[in-house]
Amino acid sequence: MRIAVLNNCVPFLRGGAEHLADALTAKLQEYGHEAVLIRVPFRWDPPEKIIEHMLACRLLRLPNVERAIAIKFPAAYVPHPNKVLWLVHQFRQAYDFWGTEFQGLPDSVRGRQIRAAVIRADNHFFAEAKAIYTNSKVTGDRLRRFNGIDSEVLLPPLYDPVEVEQQECGDFILCLGRVNAAKRQHLVVKAMKHCKTEVKLIVAGRPESEADAVEIRNTIRKDNLAQSITFIDRFVSEKEKADLLRRCLAVAYIPYDEDSYGYVTLEGCLSKKAVITCIDSGGIDALVRHRETGFIVPPEPKVLADAMDSLYSDKPGAAAMGEAGFELARSLNINWDHVIETLTK
Amino acid sequence: MKIVIATTFTPFVKSGSTYIVNGLDQSLKQRGYDVETFHFPFSDRPDEVLQQATALRLIDLSQFGDRLIAIRTPSHLLKHPNKVVWLLHSDRDAHGGSDALEDEARRQALLSADNIGLRESSRVFCNSVAAKIRMRRHSLDAEVLYPPLLRYDQFHCDGYGDYLLYFSRLTRRKRQWLAIESLRYTKTPVSLVIAGASDPDGEPYVAELRNLIHHYQLNHRVTLLPGWVPDDRKLELFAGCLAGLCFPLDDDSYGYSSLEAHASHKAILTTTDAGGVRELIVDGLNGLVRAPDPPAIAEAMDFLYTNRPATQQMGAAGPPRMKELGMNWDHVVERLLS
Repeated sequence: MRIAVLNNCVPFLRGGAEHLADALTAKLQEYGHEAVLIRVPFRWDPPEKIIEHMLACRLLRLPNVERAIAIKFPAAYVPHPNKVLWLVHQFRQAYDFWGTEFQGLPDSVRGRQIRAAVIRADNHFFAEAKAIYTNSKVTGDRLRRFNGIDSEVLLPPLYDPVEVEQQECGDFILCLGRVNAAKRQHLVVKAMKHCKTEVKLIVAGRPESEADAVEIRNTIRKDNLAQSITFIDRFVSEKEKADLLRRCLAVAYIPYDEDSYGYVTLEGCLSKKAVITCIDSGGIDALVRHRETGFIVPPEPKVLADAMDSLYSDKPGAAAMGEAGFELARSLNINWDHVIETLTK
Repeated sequence: MKIVIATTFTPFVKSGSTYIVNGLDQSLKQRGYDVETFHFPFSDRPDEVLQQATALRLIDLSQFGDRLIAIRTPSHLLKHPNKVVWLLHSDRDAHGGSDALEDEARRQALLSADNIGLRESSRVFCNSVAAKIRMRRHSLDAEVLYPPLLRYDQFHCDGYGDYLLYFSRLTRRKRQWLAIESLRYTKTPVSLVIAGASDPDGEPYVAELRNLIHHYQLNHRVTLLPGWVPDDRKLELFAGCLAGLCFPLDDDSYGYSSLEAHASHKAILTTTDAGGVRELIVDGLNGLVRAPDPPAIAEAMDFLYTNRPATQQMGAAGPPRMKELGMNWDHVVERLLS
């Protein structure tokens, strides 16, 4: 089938949605389809531009395309008679961010009009799709709550799933991924001084800003924990990552209110490691069951320290949680066979 | 420096402009620039052209990047304060339609839009002298900038065989039939290889070429290779040929196969009415130019076959001629960023 993957693009910026769009396009080709990624530029400042870019998407055409798969607003508005949506999220400024510090849109008559236009257009144009999938339960719940639109969850797989090799149950908790305030690695670092066991911590990932790196470095120095905390403050290669995952005791992934289950969580599960997350982390609980496959605890250093200590004190228990997480991930059908079949049927 | 490249394309159809855009993207990245390239889908249906042009006009890239390089029309309608345009083909086939009032109005609207996009641009480049002259008539100044080959270094010369190579899309406008018609007047045993992908609906034309070969009983002297030719086979065809042929009817562009022949140190035989390729080929220097008349072309074919040292010398003159015309990425990048 000739398939166009539709995403929007803020020039020179890349994030999770861009990686998903690239991966989906490459996998469609791998599965024998002709696939092309079409990226429509998006700009929301000043807010009037949102409306212009929505309109632009409506006016574009997709000649010579048999199926369109759209993953983001407003690229999802490009008309096509055989379109499915795999939404990674909506324009959150008009939805759950409205009334919070992330609102972005001005709380003026004009701002409220733009917000209403986005919601109305979503209601109207999403309905054109033959099927609607979301990348997480959180995204799906929001779509039902704000737009009354039903959807099905289709969890995005890792591009190259980690190979499960001979696992070791090491002494350290592992924090992977970009380091920033929203990912809250600093909370895990602050938890370390409350630990009563010899448990260690490795934080590995590129800091988003110098301030993010400084906060972690300062905590390590202040708490005098240079012996038990290693901070690898740079991009970590796939190979290094696989090695860290193989050797760690457990994974901690505690972002604030993320929609998706988090690639790091899945990497932890597929490496048969228990995962520690927080009650306010969002979609992570798709893969973490408290005391079955890991811990879901309040975002407080002392409580995090308790979870880390109990994993360290009971390594067989930690390994069993890892096994349970692996089985859970498998049962959820998070693989490209399933995704490609669903999106092309 | 951050650079945005924008073009339009028909998904899943190979085209020269997409090829050039990818070459430009790659060449800029190799030189250390931050590049973001947008390929906008574009339908050529007359009743959908205006709305799509409007879509591009609504997209505002003015916050992004230090320069926008717009390639295939109408990507030059995108908004950007520092925009240059490199037009790669004429618009006279695009947005066709009849003489009906509606179609005429549509053409006028597109022409106005075109002028807005071009006048906003700080510089306009085109790919042929013919295009430059045409734009001059609309009071637009354009600089000729020839698209270079993407993988120049891959081509090589492996001697001079007995076959002339016409490598091009199999479509009526490229006049492969003229090569067959000419071959029947030759006096030497020179042979012909015609290779290239046909258009999606191009089967009738390919059948016509087959019939012609059969009709003149040239089966043993003409090899017709319709369909996509893999890269290594293509390099081999160019490496071993006697010379290249290029007989389009008034194409603006000189055609990549001319550059590919030259990169393989081969001379090119072309016609006086071929268009852009005439800007590349100087009769007797790096190829031969003849009237589009089968006996005249046949005589040139025989000349290439008989006078090998001259043929070889004209082939060797190809690369310096390309350099002289600035057909290399260093020159293109320098001009587009100037």
